[in-house]
Amino acid sequence: MTSLYAVVTGCAAVAGAFSGFAFLGLAMDRHWADVHGRGTEPSPAQRRRLRWFGCGQLLLSLLACLALRGSSQGWVLWLGALTAAGWMAVLMLTYAVRRVPRSGIAAGSLALLGAGVAVLVR
Amino acid sequence: MKEGFRQSMAWLHTWSGLLVGWVLMLIFMAGTSSYYRDEITLWMKPELHQTAISPVTQAMAADQAARALQKRAPDSERWFVSLPSGREPALQTMWAPPAGEEKAKGKGRRRFEEALLDPASGAELADARSTRGGDFFYRLHFDLHYMPVPVARWIVGICAMSMLVAILSGIVTHKRIFKDFFTFRPRKGQRSWLDFHNVSAVLALPFHLMITYTGLVTLMFMYMPWGVKVAYNNNDKAFFAELFPGSPKGPKAAGVAAPLTPLGPVIAHASQAWGGAPAGRIVVDFPNDAAATIAVTRQEGHGVSSDLPTLIYDGVTGRPLPSPDAGRGAAVETRGVMYGLHIGRFADPLLRALFFISGLAGCAMVATGLLLWAVKEKPKHLKAGRIGFGLRLVEGLNIGAVAGLPVAMAAYFWANRLLPVGLAERPAAEAGWFFTAWAVAMVAGLAWPSRPMWRLQLLAGGMLFALLPVLNGATGGAHLLVSIPNGLWALAGFDGVTLLIGGLLLYASMRLGRAPVAKTRLAGNAA
Repeated sequence: MTSLYAVVTGCAAVAGAFSGFAFLGLAMDRHWADVHGRGTEPSPAQRRRLRWFGCGQLLLSLLACLALRGSSQGWVLWLGALTAAGWMAVLMLTYAVRRVPRSGIAAGSLALLGAGVAVLVR
Repeated sequence: MKEGFRQSMAWLHTWSGLLVGWVLMLIFMAGTSSYYRDEITLWMKPELHQTAISPVTQAMAADQAARALQKRAPDSERWFVSLPSGREPALQTMWAPPAGEEKAKGKGRRRFEEALLDPASGAELADARSTRGGDFFYRLHFDLHYMPVPVARWIVGICAMSMLVAILSGIVTHKRIFKDFFTFRPRKGQRSWLDFHNVSAVLALPFHLMITYTGLVTLMFMYMPWGVKVAYNNNDKAFFAELFPGSPKGPKAAGVAAPLTPLGPVIAHASQAWGGAPAGRIVVDFPNDAAATIAVTRQEGHGVSSDLPTLIYDGVTGRPLPSPDAGRGAAVETRGVMYGLHIGRFADPLLRALFFISGLAGCAMVATGLLLWAVKEKPKHLKAGRIGFGLRLVEGLNIGAVAGLPVAMAAYFWANRLLPVGLAERPAAEAGWFFTAWAVAMVAGLAWPSRPMWRLQLLAGGMLFALLPVLNGATGGAHLLVSIPNGLWALAGFDGVTLLIGGLLLYASMRLGRAPVAKTRLAGNAA
């Protein structure tokens, strides 16, 4: 396993977990309203899209963890990554909520990029 | 159950958490720091910091060990060698004194002689101060202190069982796990404490469940001995001998001298067999005899199970012999994995850090849970016009446990550096500082359970922790300006983390000094 592979897969694992939580958070009324103003809520289509993106990113993170550490340690790593990413999401949704949509997209792109590079260099 | 299922679960959650909360605080703090037990031990032996700067290959270290042991104990029956690693830079050697000498010394348990060596030169590092280092916290988190081990383990087991009950009933009580998954509303009094309690519990829930359950599993033979007792006719020793086979029983020395094969190629072969994972421990039986064997055990940190694979080699030819690991049952493997998960021994730096963060979340969960009880109870007492004994007691214990324990832990580190190096019973004296500091914090908390007391103890803990990197440099350790350029991440990490913890404690102390927010319904722990 080359170190480049390990680094990009690790990026995909952590960034994917964070962006997944960011999207899932934005799909909730409370956090959506924090970003877009009181009383607003996402349209059903928007909500569905956010949830799909969120779940997709969490899945990507899981796959990256399994690729990185195998099927036993991979699950442990994924749960750990979810915990750390969850804390990041809570802190951002509380103290920097307006930056959440962009950070989510940036982290999601990073995760996809990392996964792409990982597939190429493997 | 008149009040309904959820209410009774809330009641169960409150009391199963509160009654053992202060012991859990100790267990969680000491247990969390045990993830960095080797790093703590290294930090507490500043004499070894210089050795850590020039790492050598494992083969070279093994050959240095063999050379030193040939000089000191060529007639010994058994040598033990622990090879240096990133977390423990010294080369540890132990040997059993020759059988004749031992008998001459009289009865009693077999005593091993030991020596710490510099892996590069083979010179003895005898002057490292004696300390229990990180092992103190590791033992503390399930053996406690000042009491017989079985009693302590029963107490810890009851607390862990209570914790498991609290976690499960907490899940039932928490109606909005998913709705409030990311919700934290700061500066809203009781609401904020509850949010934080929920977030710290839910985000690391897999860890909390795992650590509590596997913690019970690690000591299961003690809590539930009946199965073993029935199946093995009350003979525990037979059970353990069958479960964890050591070296084959009863091999005898051939009595024919034969030179020992060099250790370097042997560990290289073992390492290759484990896909490149390095060797950790070497045991040589009957060195310099024709019947010599060499057992090589893998270094920790390269698989989930705590039972590490071992390979056996012929000590004269260096050829591999049949391995004792073959044919483990599924139940043994399962227990090995559970144990391994609990102690995180398999974990590389990334996973270890994630475990550590989850452990800190566990501390935060227990602490906020304890605080919540006091915060909820307070208005009733204020209405009645006087603070009752129960609330006063809980508030005092909360101060002593939540703010006092960091003071005690920091005092332990300060004692390590400030006590004279040659002091007799030094490890006990260091532990003494820990318990003295904690006792003072507890008594002070119980005597004056008030907001200024919270601030004072948080301030003391914060200062003591934040100044540890300075103390390290001032008393002969490798400080940050030395450790970072030389890549001594174990030491740099210790200093960095203590700095961070100190900063957080100081921030908490400062925040408590601000006037309570006007909108706050309940003024937290105001006096």
